[in-house]
Amino acid sequence: MPHFFFNKKLILLLVGMVFLVALISFSLRDRTNATLPEQIIKDTVGVAQSIVAKPANYIAGVFNNIDSLLNTYEENKRLKARLEEFAAVQAEATELKSDNEKLRELLDKSESLKEFNPIHATVIARNPDQWEEKIILDKGSSHGVEKNMAVMTAKGLVGKVTVVTPFTSEVELLYTSNPNYRVSAMVLGDTEAYGLIEGFDKERNELIMKRIDSSLPVKKGQQVVSSGLGGIFPKNVPIGEITEVSTDDFGLTKMAYVKPSADFSILDYVVIAKRSSTVIDGSDGSATNEDLTHPPEASEEEEK
Amino acid sequence: MVRFLIPSVAVLLFLLEPEFAMLSPIEIKGQIYYLVPRFLILYLIFISIYYSRQRAVMYGLFFGVLYDVFYIDIIGLYSVLFPLICFLAGSIVKIIHQHLVVTTTISVVLVAILEFILYQFFYLIDFTSIPLSDFLRSRLLPTIIANALFLMILGWAFKYLINARVLQRAREVS
Repeated sequence: MPHFFFNKKLILLLVGMVFLVALISFSLRDRTNATLPEQIIKDTVGVAQSIVAKPANYIAGVFNNIDSLLNTYEENKRLKARLEEFAAVQAEATELKSDNEKLRELLDKSESLKEFNPIHATVIARNPDQWEEKIILDKGSSHGVEKNMAVMTAKGLVGKVTVVTPFTSEVELLYTSNPNYRVSAMVLGDTEAYGLIEGFDKERNELIMKRIDSSLPVKKGQQVVSSGLGGIFPKNVPIGEITEVSTDDFGLTKMAYVKPSADFSILDYVVIAKRSSTVIDGSDGSATNEDLTHPPEASEEEEK
Repeated sequence: MVRFLIPSVAVLLFLLEPEFAMLSPIEIKGQIYYLVPRFLILYLIFISIYYSRQRAVMYGLFFGVLYDVFYIDIIGLYSVLFPLICFLAGSIVKIIHQHLVVTTTISVVLVAILEFILYQFFYLIDFTSIPLSDFLRSRLLPTIIANALFLMILGWAFKYLINARVLQRAREVS
């Protein structure tokens, strides 16, 4: 009889293994969004997590304050030096802004890729095992967050939303080793050079910007911002500064190392950018293949 | 009172882990070190050793599923590894002496094993491409040190709490 029991256990183990492999491969597939039971679990844990996150953020804030208090003297000196420039820059900026508005009116072009509606969110958790670079926010689809929206801090872009549930959302940070993670970016200068941020150099701790036209001059120290041409992110969100320029693997295009301007080590408050102008939904989005350049009414008329 | 204290401590540790993870990638002399908080599994190992293996495996399964769904999005990874580690801990303790120093060492070794299995898994599915030596230096070693420190500080509290529960249960039975 014990022999029989042993066999039963073995069969149970085998069935369990098969079930496990099936479950893992199911969840590894490119899923567009979380299933209902997952959403329920995520929301419940998310609510509990945001309660714990409040005092934790507060304590972290106190430590940050102490840290910045120690640097006050140094910082004050530097800031005073920059204050003088600031007035001039401010005046120039207001002038340019009003100029820009007038010219836009003249062109009858009101929509801009730059504009976005900010949604403020608190970081409630960071993936504790840190294999995937992921953070979880306390705002979800009920607050208007959608998949693929850009997430940034005051300093710059940090990542994009990958999973949304009614009350939480998950953000994949810029420095991920996921090869499908790309951000259309441009280098600011006399001539704007466009490229793609793809990949992250673990050793240098810098982002890699690839596919820059080799005829364009790109120098160390230039600013990199998002271009808005990927169809999802708003334009002009700062990404970082170029630290080194070299040629690509095949020598056809240039590539540059970009030092991210946002501080990834302590993220507590972030802004989710909901782009005002039309958002496309290619394979990055919900992949509905909707024709956005030809509105549906027009195409129907054409068919008739 | 003590009855509900054991699961509530587990829940608290589960919720505290990501808060500690936010402190994590620390930079010392240009080198980046990852500290992975594994408080929950350490606590579950202690439950498995001092209280009941079966109970620990149940807790492991429950929190493993939560972990998978909320953080990892790969269902079936932690929900298998957590119970497995608890089961191993409960089985080992039948052979050896239950002194606090011994159990602390076993817990830390088990966490190292867990971390290593996870590395192998993520390497297999191409989530990470760091070589083994880098993993040992920048992840495994700091994680072991951090978790050992945690256990040295709070291990006796876990043991005290669990023993209180065991005594209470014995009184209920008699």
